[in-house]
Amino acid sequence: MTETPTDDGGEQAETDGQTADGDRPESARPSVLVPLEVLEGESPPPGTPELLANARVVLLGYHVLPDQTATEQAREQFGETAMSKLDEFAASLAAAGADVETRLVFTHDGETTIDRLIYEYDCLAVLVPNSAERVESVLVALRGTVGVGRNTRLVAGLFADAGVDVTLYHALGDGETPDDGKSFLNGVRADLVERGMAPDRIETLVEDADVPIDAIAGRAESHDAVVMGETDPSVTTFVFGMPSEQVAERFLGPVLVVQRERPEE
Amino acid sequence: MDGSEPSDVTEPPDVEVPDALADVVDADTGEGELERTIGLVGGLAIGVGTMIGAGIFVFPGLAAENAGPAAALSFAIGAVVALLVALPASELATAMPRSGGGYFFISRGLGTAAGAVVGIGLWLGLVFASAFYLVGLGSYAGQVFLEAGIALPIDPAVPLGVAFGVGLTVLSLFGTENTAALQNAIVILLLVILTLFLSYGSLDALGVFGAESTPERFFPPGGALPVLQTAALVFTSYLGFAQVATVAGDIREPSRNLPLAMVGSVLLVGVFYVVTIFVATSAFGSGRLGEFGETAMVEVARAFIGFPGALAIVIAGLLATFSSANASILSASRAVYAVSRDGVIPGVASRLNLAYGTPHVALGLAGGPIVVLAATGQVELLAEVASFLHLVMYGLICVALIRLRREDPPWYDPSFRCPAGFAVAGVGGIASFALIAFMQLASIGVGIAVMVAAYGWYRYYATDVELKGDF
Repeated sequence: MTETPTDDGGEQAETDGQTADGDRPESARPSVLVPLEVLEGESPPPGTPELLANARVVLLGYHVLPDQTATEQAREQFGETAMSKLDEFAASLAAAGADVETRLVFTHDGETTIDRLIYEYDCLAVLVPNSAERVESVLVALRGTVGVGRNTRLVAGLFADAGVDVTLYHALGDGETPDDGKSFLNGVRADLVERGMAPDRIETLVEDADVPIDAIAGRAESHDAVVMGETDPSVTTFVFGMPSEQVAERFLGPVLVVQRERPEE
Repeated sequence: MDGSEPSDVTEPPDVEVPDALADVVDADTGEGELERTIGLVGGLAIGVGTMIGAGIFVFPGLAAENAGPAAALSFAIGAVVALLVALPASELATAMPRSGGGYFFISRGLGTAAGAVVGIGLWLGLVFASAFYLVGLGSYAGQVFLEAGIALPIDPAVPLGVAFGVGLTVLSLFGTENTAALQNAIVILLLVILTLFLSYGSLDALGVFGAESTPERFFPPGGALPVLQTAALVFTSYLGFAQVATVAGDIREPSRNLPLAMVGSVLLVGVFYVVTIFVATSAFGSGRLGEFGETAMVEVARAFIGFPGALAIVIAGLLATFSSANASILSASRAVYAVSRDGVIPGVASRLNLAYGTPHVALGLAGGPIVVLAATGQVELLAEVASFLHLVMYGLICVALIRLRREDPPWYDPSFRCPAGFAVAGVGGIASFALIAFMQLASIGVGIAVMVAAYGWYRYYATDVELKGDF
């Protein structure tokens, strides 16, 4: 499986990612939000610890309540159970090498909560938790140059030292020639190499697809995980915006949804 | 004559301090944190949505029958009393942004005995209010049959109200998601319909579209007494602002949004009520209005705009009474939760079921009695008992404010301070208790019986619960 380097000793949920273990300062670890409805029985699916071994994982347990129920009321009754489950999950992620922070939130609106935590931790991506048997190759779907830096930071941060093959994928837009696409992906590739990825582990793929979502979902089948961007630039950020959701549903594997840069508050 | 609106009350200042207190309440205590999801608009919608159903769609006929055009004054008096309580309540709410509203303030400020009486009283007060709204809802649903030309052998208001009561309780048990968004939409739609209708009606009444209507004598034959009695009756139309405080735990930036939502919703509905009475009494004599009963506004709209107007008001009335009834059922279950959390009633009452995330016991304790009371069909009695129980709470909220300001315990640090606090709370408290005196004897009797029973329960079950200052 992965050549997870460090197992800094423990069942501890909160491993503090100090720079003591040398070559990787904490800032290099990309923050990834993993939202789980713990009380609905959701847990990190198999493969998640491997996928996020090099991440700073923000493990969010949340529980959505109907409006007629006070959140306080639910916390009182379910807080302890949910917290102990969450701690258990955190320990399994930490055991694989991730830095883990856990948060448990009782809310009336899951989207608001997820969005708030993305801001709070400046998360690069949100995981749509699906199971993966192994994590050996990852499809990275890129739309364009805007915000592509966040994709490369995430991909390099998670997979540079993990011996994972990465396929950069771009579906051609209107008026784009294959050469445009090729040179765009080559730029990204160079960036990744600069960030420490082995050049021979990066492939590029440019395609003229009518429906990019279908194409991505189709291509994903020969990979273990997908990295793709948020959709629909609007004021509200829909974490599980339609395309990434569709891909996740058809692909059935884990999808990392890269978040747009948040404006400074 | 529309100068009687309480427009001289200034809006609370826009407090822009971080909500340190709210942060403490929501912070993770090892068992998770709480997300606040209701903004200012949502808060206003809860207040307005709870209130507007009664004042505009149920009371105008009854009120005009009792007090003539001066019923507008009755509504204005109610608005002033409500404002005098809303300001102290806002201060307390920013000091204690927790679920439970008035019960929470009073139990922490005045101790368990007063808290128990108010908490149980609030639950039953909301039960009475919901039953009242349901009969109103039934009347409007019955009106639908009438408009469609379907003759019914009996007055369908009560059976339909009971049916809606059962339906709403069951619906709330199964955790309909995000009712808040629906509530906001309903309130906005209502305000649009009412603004259009009332603007047209006012202009017409003032003679813009033709002959000015001959104004009736403003005061009723009995003078001021019927006006005050009517104020006591229609005070049920102002119970909603306290509902904002019962969801204080869900309000974002409570130090800013709670006062704005509470005071703002009272001002807004107060203006609408006064104008409504003006329009209604200029369309018909108050005697006629009284004959139309709960659905008098439908006839008023018909007189102005014909069938489309009547239809619009029937629809608006259905929406308004529906949202009032629904909001009150949910608030009643929150009240049950608040007292059970503190151990004033057995903890089992606040159990949630995990599958739906709803407090099924509390909802049952709200929905059951509501249906029974709605079946009585005693509109005025239901409304007055609801007002009685709320007014007791309002009076004690004012007392709690005075006491907390006097004692100034270390945890009491409100971010909104009621201007002229002692004076406002003093007058507000006296006015609240005074209004009770103008109710019918039967209502006062039922109200006192509820309070005595609540106190008896406290002596029997909760004497060892210490809540004063427990924050």
